[in-house]
Amino acid sequence: MKRVGKAWPYIFIALAIIFFIAPLLSMARFAFQRIPVISLGKNNLFKKWTADGLLVTLRDPEFKHSLSVSLKVAFFTVIVLLLMMIPTTLLVHLSTPRWRGLVETVTILPYVVPPIALVVGVSGTYRSIAPWFLASNYSLVPFYAILAMPFTFRSLDVGIKALDLRTLVDAARSLGSSSLRVMWNVLLPNLRTSIVNATFLTITVVLGEFTIASLLLKRTLPMYMAQEQGREPQGALGLGLLILVLTTLLFTLVGMMRRKNSASNVPQQINSGMVP
Amino acid sequence: MRTPLQRFRIPTRFRPVGLLPFFSFVALFLLWPAVSLFRLALQPTKNSEISAIHEAITGQYLESFIYTIKLSLLTALLGVLFGSLLAASVLRIQRPKWFRHFMTSFTGVAANLGGIPLAFAFIAALGTQGLITKLIDSFGINLADTGFRISNFAGITIVYLYFQIPLMFLIMVPAFDGLRATWAESAASLGAAPWQYWRHIGLPLLTPALLGGFLLLFSNAFSAYATAYALSSGGARLVPVQIRFFLQGNTITGKDNLGYALAAWMIIIMFITMTGYLIIRRRAEKWQQ
Repeated sequence: MKRVGKAWPYIFIALAIIFFIAPLLSMARFAFQRIPVISLGKNNLFKKWTADGLLVTLRDPEFKHSLSVSLKVAFFTVIVLLLMMIPTTLLVHLSTPRWRGLVETVTILPYVVPPIALVVGVSGTYRSIAPWFLASNYSLVPFYAILAMPFTFRSLDVGIKALDLRTLVDAARSLGSSSLRVMWNVLLPNLRTSIVNATFLTITVVLGEFTIASLLLKRTLPMYMAQEQGREPQGALGLGLLILVLTTLLFTLVGMMRRKNSASNVPQQINSGMVP
Repeated sequence: MRTPLQRFRIPTRFRPVGLLPFFSFVALFLLWPAVSLFRLALQPTKNSEISAIHEAITGQYLESFIYTIKLSLLTALLGVLFGSLLAASVLRIQRPKWFRHFMTSFTGVAANLGGIPLAFAFIAALGTQGLITKLIDSFGINLADTGFRISNFAGITIVYLYFQIPLMFLIMVPAFDGLRATWAESAASLGAAPWQYWRHIGLPLLTPALLGGFLLLFSNAFSAYATAYALSSGGARLVPVQIRFFLQGNTITGKDNLGYALAAWMIIIMFITMTGYLIIRRRAEKWQQ
C-alpha cells in the first residue's frame, strides 16, 4: 500500500506525458510517412519517411502569401498595441492612479466577449458603415490588438510595479531630461522584459488566430492550413507541426528570459487568448 | 503627495485626457460591436413574433446552448481534477530539479495550443484513420463501433482536455506552493492524520484557486471555436460553430438576427462566469494581504 502511495505521482505523470505526446507523434507520422495507417505494421514502421508533403506546401505561392499576410498583421498589431498600452500603463501609474482600477477592468473585457461574438458584432456594425475597412487585411489589426490587450497590460503593469517609477522619473528630470528622453532612455530600457514578453505572446496569438480571420474571409496562415488540409493533407499537418515547434521555441525563449530577469515564477502566459 | 508628472504642468483634471486614445480604441473596436449585438438581437426575425434574443433560447438553439454548456462543464471539471493531480504529482518530485521547470514550460505551451494545429494532431491520433485508433484496434477494440467520433461530444471533450489540463496545472502550481510545509507539520505534530490536514486546512486554502480555475476553464471551453470547427469540418452542434451559419448566410434567409442573438447570449454567459472569477480572485487577494 505504501509503495503505491509513493509511486502514484510517477504513474500519473507518465500517463499525462503519453496523453500529451501521442497526438503530436501521430501528427508527425501522418505528415512525414507515406503509408496509409491501414497498412501500417511492424515490418514497414520505418519505411517511406519523407518530408515531400511539407516541402510541396512550403513552396506553394499561396502559402507564402498567407505567411506574409499573417506576419504583416502581426507586426502592425504589435506596433498598435505597444503605442497604445505603454503610455496608458505609464499614465495610470504616474499621474492618474485613480484610473488604474477602471483601466485594469477594461483590459479584462476582451475575455467577456469571445472572438466569435466579437466578429459577429463587427460584421453587424462595420459591414454596413465602412465596408472598405473590412475589405482590407489590416482590418484584423485592431481586433487582434483587442485580443492581446489583457496580457499586454498585465505584463507591462507587473514590469512597472517592479520599478521604483517615481524615483526614476524624478532623478532623470532633475538631471535635465526632457519627458521624451525619460521615456526613451529610462523607462523603455527598464521595461524591456515586459515589452518583449508581450510582443512574443502577441505574435503567437496573431499567427494562431482562426476565428476572426475565417469569418472575415482573410487569407491568413491558419486559414491557409485549414484549406490545405483538403488539398495536401500531409503538407497541412507538417505545417501545423512546424508551427507548434516554432511556438514552443518562442515560449521557451520567453520563459528563459523571464526566469533570468525576474525572481517571480508566476506564469504570465496563463490564458493568452490564443486558445482556441 | 506630489506625483512626478506635476512638473509637466498639466492641471490635475485634464490628466485623464491621456487615457483617451485607449478608451476610444476599446469603445470603437470592442464595445461598439458588442453593444450593437444586443440592439440587433432585440429585433424579431422574419415570420416571427418574438425577438431574436428570445428565439435563440428555444428549440434547437436552446439544445445547442445546453450541449455547449454541458461540454464546457465536463471539460472544466475533468480539467480541474487532472490539472490539480498533475500539479500535485509534479511538485512531489523534488529531483531532478529541471523537471519542474520543464513541466511549467511545457504546460505553458500546451495551455496555449489550440485552433487548427491541435485539431490536426487529434485527427491524426484518434480520427477514423488515426494512429491511436489503429493501436486500440489491434487490441481488438473498434473505436468507431463504440460510438466514439473525434467530432462528437466525447471526442471534443478529450481534445479540449489537451489545453484545459495544462491551464489548470499553471493555476494550481502557485496555489500548492502557497501551502507552507510548516502547516502540514504543525497539523501532524498536533496529531492530525493527513486526511484531516487536507480536509480542514489544505482544501479550504486551495478552494479559491480550484473555484477560480474551474470558472476560467469553463469560459475557455465555452468560447472555443477553431478547434471544434476543424474537428467537425464545421458540423459541430456547439453554439460558436452554429453562429457561423448565420453569418455566412448558409441558412434560411431572414434569420440573420439569430446569429446576433446567439452571440449576445454567449456574452451574457461569459459575463456571469468572468464576474464570478473576478470576485473569487479579489477575495483570495484580500485574504493573502
